[in-house]
Amino acid sequence: MRNRVAMVVLPLFLCLLLLTPTPAQSAAAPPRVLLLFDSLAKGTVREGNVDELQKQLAAYSAQVTLVHLDQYVKGSMSDYSNVITVINAADITTDNHVFLEDLADYKGQYLHIGYNPTADTKEALHLSVAIQPGGSASLRIGGLPEANLQVQDMPYIAASQAERSYGNLLFLGSSVQVPYAVGSGKYTYVPYLKQGDGSSLAMACVLREWLHITDTPHSYLVLKEIYPFTDLNLLQQMADQLYQKGIPFIASIRPVFTNTDFPAMLRYLEALKAVQARNGSIVVNVPVIGPVISRSDDTLREKMSIFINLLADQGVAPLGVGAESYWTYDKEYAQTGLLFFDSAVLFPNKELHYMEQTNTSKAFISSLYSVPLDDLVTQYKTGSSGLTDLPMDTAIVADFPEDEAGMEKLLQKLEQSWIPFSDYKQEAHRVATDTHIITSSQGVISINGQELNIDYSPKAVSADFEYEHEQVKSFTRLFSVQNQFFIVAIIVSLVFFGGLLVIGYRMYRRKYMK
Amino acid sequence: MLEYNLRPSFRQKLMFSNTLTSPAFIAASGVLIITVIALFTAPYIGMADNGDFFRITYSNGLYFNQPDYDSQYFGYFIKQFGIFQYYNENQAILSSSQSLFIKLAIGLNKLLYSDKVFDVRFQAAMYTILYVCAIYILIESITWKMSRKQGLLIAAIAIFIFGDTAYTAFFNSFFGESVVTIMMIFVFGSWLALYRKRYNDYAMLALLVTSTVILTTSKQQNAPVGMIISVLAITLIWIRKDAFFRWLTMGSVIFMMLTGVATYLNISKEFVDINQYHAMTRGVLNLSSNPEDTLKSFGIDEQYAILKGTIYYEQYSTIDVKSPILQREFYSQYGFGPILKYYASNPGQLTSILNVAAKSAFTIRPPAMGNYEKSAGKEYGAHTLFFSGYSLLKQKLAPHTFGFVVIWVLVILGLYMPSCIAAVKEGNLRGIQRMALVLATMGVGVSGILVSIIGAGDADLSKHEFLFTLSFDLVTFLAVSNVIGRSIFKDVERNTTGAYNPEVHEGVGA
Repeated sequence: MRNRVAMVVLPLFLCLLLLTPTPAQSAAAPPRVLLLFDSLAKGTVREGNVDELQKQLAAYSAQVTLVHLDQYVKGSMSDYSNVITVINAADITTDNHVFLEDLADYKGQYLHIGYNPTADTKEALHLSVAIQPGGSASLRIGGLPEANLQVQDMPYIAASQAERSYGNLLFLGSSVQVPYAVGSGKYTYVPYLKQGDGSSLAMACVLREWLHITDTPHSYLVLKEIYPFTDLNLLQQMADQLYQKGIPFIASIRPVFTNTDFPAMLRYLEALKAVQARNGSIVVNVPVIGPVISRSDDTLREKMSIFINLLADQGVAPLGVGAESYWTYDKEYAQTGLLFFDSAVLFPNKELHYMEQTNTSKAFISSLYSVPLDDLVTQYKTGSSGLTDLPMDTAIVADFPEDEAGMEKLLQKLEQSWIPFSDYKQEAHRVATDTHIITSSQGVISINGQELNIDYSPKAVSADFEYEHEQVKSFTRLFSVQNQFFIVAIIVSLVFFGGLLVIGYRMYRRKYMK
Repeated sequence: MLEYNLRPSFRQKLMFSNTLTSPAFIAASGVLIITVIALFTAPYIGMADNGDFFRITYSNGLYFNQPDYDSQYFGYFIKQFGIFQYYNENQAILSSSQSLFIKLAIGLNKLLYSDKVFDVRFQAAMYTILYVCAIYILIESITWKMSRKQGLLIAAIAIFIFGDTAYTAFFNSFFGESVVTIMMIFVFGSWLALYRKRYNDYAMLALLVTSTVILTTSKQQNAPVGMIISVLAITLIWIRKDAFFRWLTMGSVIFMMLTGVATYLNISKEFVDINQYHAMTRGVLNLSSNPEDTLKSFGIDEQYAILKGTIYYEQYSTIDVKSPILQREFYSQYGFGPILKYYASNPGQLTSILNVAAKSAFTIRPPAMGNYEKSAGKEYGAHTLFFSGYSLLKQKLAPHTFGFVVIWVLVILGLYMPSCIAAVKEGNLRGIQRMALVLATMGVGVSGILVSIIGAGDADLSKHEFLFTLSFDLVTFLAVSNVIGRSIFKDVERNTTGAYNPEVHEGVGA
C-alpha cells in the first residue's frame, strides 16, 4: 500500500517540481571572488579599472564581493575561491597586517593587480617591478590582434622567474620586451590594467586562465535601444538584412508596463516576432530607472513578470536580460528585476541609480561582456583576420540606428569587422516566471515545454481600438427627459422672474422718481 | 439708506476709533489665538513632508537629522531639522522668495534657540505674525465705516475661514503654500485698502507691489500671477491726480510684469521638460478618445500612444524621459501654442479635464499628508479636526464640477458689475478697483488651473489648485461681506445722491 501511494505521489511531486515556477537556477556553483582595492583611482588614467574587473568577472559567471582593503575583515578570505587585490596608488604599500596574515594562509588563487605587489607575491615570483614614466607600448596576448597602449607611470615586470607568463609588452622606441603578466603557484601578478585600452582584453585573457575557464567563447551582436517607438519597419528591414548576410543577432528590447493592449503595443510585438523569425534572439532590457527613486516601490518584480508573460503569450521568447552592470550590485534589482533570468548581457554603466546597493554581485550562468562595436573597431586592427579569439563570451553592442543611412553604415561596419557572430539561442538559456518557462538549447526555443516555431510573417495591426470604455449607464432616457424638463422649467422661471423684475422696477420709478 | 452714510454718534465714533474693539482687531486676534493653540501647543499641528522639502531645506542650509525621516514621509509632521555646520554643497535648486523667510527663521532660531538644530516653529511664528497682519488689513479694508454689528459678523466669518487649520498648518512646514497664503491676502487687503482709501495710498501701493513680487517668485508656477496682477493694476495709475503717484504706479506695474516674466524664464530646463511631458501624456492623450489620431495631428509617431497616462517620475519606465529620442521625435513636435490650439478645437476634451481639475479645486488641506508628529501617537497620515470646520464644509458641500466655477465667476462678476459700470460712467477710476481686484484674484486662481492643464496636463493640478481655492475664498468672502455691508451693488465711497465726490479721491496722505 505504502509503495502504491509512493508510486502515485512521487511522480506527482516530480511534476510539481517541474511545473513550479522557480527563479533561474545555476547549474554549477559560480566562483566566489573577493575583490579588494585601495582606491578607485578617480581622476587618474586608471579610473574605471576596478569597474572593468567587475565586468570581466561577471562575464566569467563569478560572484564578486567588492571590499575596500582597509575594511577587510579578518578571516573572511577563506569564504572565497579566489582573491584579487587592486593597488592603484603608487605610493601606498599593502601594510594591512590582517590581510597579509590571512593571505599567507590562504589556499585559493591570489591575483595582484597594479603597484606594490605583496612581499609574498614578489618572493613567489622572484619579481622585480619597474615604472615606465610615459610613451607608448604594444601589447600582444593570446589570439588577440596587437593593441597599442599609451602609458603613463606604468608598472611593468622588469624581471621574474615564474611558472606562467601571459602575453608580451614591447615599449616602442626601446628594445625592452617584457611579459604582460606572470604567475607561480597560487600567486599571479598583472602590473597594469586600464579600462578601455588593449590591457582590458589582455586582463580578460589572464582571468580566463586564472579562473580555469575552458568553454569556447562566443561573440554575439547585440542591438540595443529598441523601443516601441523605434521605427518598426526599419527594425524589420534590419532583421532581413542581417538574416541575408548570415549574421545572427540579439535584440535587447525595452519593456512596456502600461497600455499593453493598445494597437501600438501589438505593432511592437509583431515587429519582435518578425525579428525572431530572422534569427534574432530577444533579451528583455531592464526598464529605465526614473529620476526619483522611492524605496517603498516594490512593483518591479510584478511588472517584469507581466511583461515576460505577455511576450511569451504572443510567441515572443525572451532568452535573457540586458542591464547596466550596476544592477547586479543592487539587492532590490537583483532579487526582483533580474530574478527571472539565468542569462544576461551586462552593459557598461551610464548613470547609477541604486535602490539598495550591495557589495556582492548576482552571478549569471551565462553573462556577456559587452564592448561597443565602435570601440572594438578603433581599438584593434580587425582587418580581414577578424577578432576570432575574444577570451570570454562577448556582446558586440551597437545602438539601433535611427534611419536607413545609419543602418547601412552599421551593416558596413559589421562586414568590415569580420567578427564571427554566434547564434544566442544555440546556448542554454532559461527564463522562468510564475506561468511561463522559456528555454533555449541548440537553436531550439521552447515555451512551457512546447517547441516554438519562430517562422512568422508579420500581420498588419488594426488601429481600431476602444480606448475609453463606455460606462454602463442606467435610466439614460429617463435622465435625458428629466434634463430637458429642468432646462425648460429653469428658462421659463428666469423669463418670468425677469419680467416681474422689470415690471417692479418700472412701478418703483413711477412711484418714487417723479 | 446705507449704514455707512449715517452720521455716527459721538459714542459710536469713540467705539469705532478704539482699535482694540474694531472688527479687524477682533478677527486678527481670533485667528492669532486659534493659530497659536494649533501650532504652538501640544499636540503640535504641521504638515508631513511629501518629498518636496529636500529641495528647499538643503539649499538653505538645513538637513534631515532624524534617522527615521524616510519612514515618516507623508505620515508625520517633523518639527526639527539639522543646521549644516560646515560647507553646504547643495546649491539652490530653486530660487524662491520662500528662502528669504527660511533664512530669517534660521537666523531667529540661532539667536534664540540653537545653532545646530532648527525648530520649524520659529518659521511658523514669523508666518503667523505676518498672517495676522494680513488679516487685519483685509478686514479693516472691508469693515471700515461699517456698523459694529455688520463688522462683528464679518470678523466672525473671517475667523471661521482664515483661522482654519487647513491654511495655518502649512506654516509648520516647508511648503510654499504658507508664503502664497500670506502674500495673496496682503495683495487682496492692500488693493482693497486702495479702493477704500483706508490707509496711505503710497504705503498700500508699496505693500501691494512687495507682496505681489514675493507671491510671484515664491513658486515657479506662480509666474502668471505677476503678469495678471500687473495688467489689472494698470487701472491704479489713475486713482490719484498727482504725477508722482502715477509714475510710481506705472513703474510698479512694469516691475510686477517683469517679475512674472523673469520667474517664467527662470523655470529650469528640467521643469520645462517635466511639464511638456505631462502636457501630452497627462493632458492631451489622457482623455483623447483616439490617442493615435491625436498624436498624428501633432506630427508625432502614433506609437507614442503607449505613453498615454504615464508620468515623468515613473520609477520604472520604458524610455528615459530625458532621452535624445524623445527630444527628437516627441518634445520637439509640440509646445504651449499647439496644445492650446488643440484644446480650442476639442472643447469637449478641455471640459472633461477641467472637470477632473474641479474635483480637488475646493480642497485646502492636501489629503495625502498627515498633520501630527509621530510622538503624538496618532495613526500614520492622520489629519487634525481642530478648527477645520470651514475646510471640511467646503470640501463636502462645494459642487465639484467646473460648471460651478463658471457660474461662480459669472455670479460674482454680475454682482460687482453695476457699481463698476457706475464708476466707469463717472470716470471714477478708484471706484472700479474692487472689480479690478476681483478680476485679478479670479484670474490668478482660474488661470492657474488653465495654464497648468495646457502646460502640464492633470499631473500638476493639485499644486496649482491651492491658489484657486484661496482665491475662491477671498472673493467669496468679499462678496458675502459686501452683502452684509449692503455695498455689493454700489461703490461705498459714493454719496447717497450718487454724485462723484472728487475730494474723496485726493487720497489719504501725500
